[in-house]
Amino acid sequence: MAAPFSRLCRPLWRITTTSTLNKGVRNVSSSRQQWSAQNVKTAGAASPWALNGAVCLQRLPVVSEDGSPIEEEFMELMHLMEFERSLLSDHELRLLEDAARMSRKQEGDYDSDEEDYRDNEIVTAQDLEDIWEQKPKQFQPAPRSQGVDEKDMSSSERCLADSLILLVKKDVGSQKLWLLPQIQWQTGETLRQTAERALASLPGADKKATFLGNAPCGYYKYKYPKVIQKEGSVGAKVFFFKAVLSSHKHLPLEKNSFAWVKKEELQDFLKPEYLKQVRRFIMAL
Amino acid sequence: MAGIVCRTASRIISSQVSCSSSVVAVRHSHWFTSMLSLKTSSPLRAEPKKKKKVDPRREIMMKERLKKKLKRLEKVAPELIPIEDFITPAKCLDETRIRDAPKHSFEESERRALLLKEWSRYKYSQHQTEMDTINEALEAQRQALDELKLESEELYKAAVSPDTDIFPFQHEGPSYTPPVTNYEAPEGKYNDITRVYTQ
Repeated sequence: MAAPFSRLCRPLWRITTTSTLNKGVRNVSSSRQQWSAQNVKTAGAASPWALNGAVCLQRLPVVSEDGSPIEEEFMELMHLMEFERSLLSDHELRLLEDAARMSRKQEGDYDSDEEDYRDNEIVTAQDLEDIWEQKPKQFQPAPRSQGVDEKDMSSSERCLADSLILLVKKDVGSQKLWLLPQIQWQTGETLRQTAERALASLPGADKKATFLGNAPCGYYKYKYPKVIQKEGSVGAKVFFFKAVLSSHKHLPLEKNSFAWVKKEELQDFLKPEYLKQVRRFIMAL
Repeated sequence: MAGIVCRTASRIISSQVSCSSSVVAVRHSHWFTSMLSLKTSSPLRAEPKKKKKVDPRREIMMKERLKKKLKRLEKVAPELIPIEDFITPAKCLDETRIRDAPKHSFEESERRALLLKEWSRYKYSQHQTEMDTINEALEAQRQALDELKLESEELYKAAVSPDTDIFPFQHEGPSYTPPVTNYEAPEGKYNDITRVYTQ
């Protein structure tokens, strides 16, 4: 839930700021600075904003990512320090004993009767080590990169070490835009249900997702261009809900309408104002 | 002869009894005691086992003593289960196991010290970015909820209400290699040698 900020001065600030900046671009973001007084007035009455619910579907990383150089170096140092401060294990003691016994055997006055015979004679510690090294080679793990082309955006097996977001290309007005999957809100359902419907309405393999809570994680507000603006509809508000992909069938999706995208690649797909709002709640840690 | 005498005697007694209330024990033979008194014939009287009043008391006393002993045993605090991690096994105190302390050159020790400092700086910056990201996300959520409140109270209340289905939440974290598709793990035997303590 939202952190408990004390925002006593906030309402005053909202009312006194200037009206919204209408850029040439159709989508207008409403960050704190550009909030207009108009919105405060229309609260309570039949709001002119159409409500949409959108889903931010994340495929969490499947494979651990490679450490940065300093992390690698530090890990090595830690291993070394631990090794130096440790005690000798049973296996190492055995190795030492075997080595000592070998050296004694090489000497001229070796009397084998003095040795107390144990099973160590048959299988030396070194042999055991060799056996242990051979055993894991029987198992072939899957390769880390999975061999899928990194540029193929429609495959969800892309970058296994990063978390990916699902984007959809949609007709909005006259343009085709890349968006997070969204759908119009209908009366009688909560916004989370709208988001679930948005996810279910996507064509393709059914994606089992767990929605993280009832509250939206972010929002985006935009005004319709003046041509379409009628009385009672100024624009639309989109509320984003986070979901985590739990399991899916690896069916390929259409290349041109779906994309699994990392956080860094989002800027190639989304409009700048939209991106600005969306980046806030997508955490790529 | 004796039988006739007995029958006449009994008739006399019965006639006498019918007139008078008091019973007169008239014994004509030791076998036939009076009809109205207790039938305590000699076989009965000769029984050795007789439950006296002292015996049940003795038994009750025994039971009470046993119960008291049991209570005393139970009052003792149960033995604490030892935490195996806190007990240093005797193997570790063995002197033959100590490794020779390696001697590092000056450069090596310098390198280590510098690396540790570099690491602390790196971790600090990592922590800062993490905290910033989290605060940014929280702020975005808070603003979204404010917006929603402006829109409609019902939706806001529905959004703010707790979600009961999300917990318990399970997700498999990242591993070093991705899972192999259609992998059948080989069956293996194992002997579980964990020590189980009962109090």
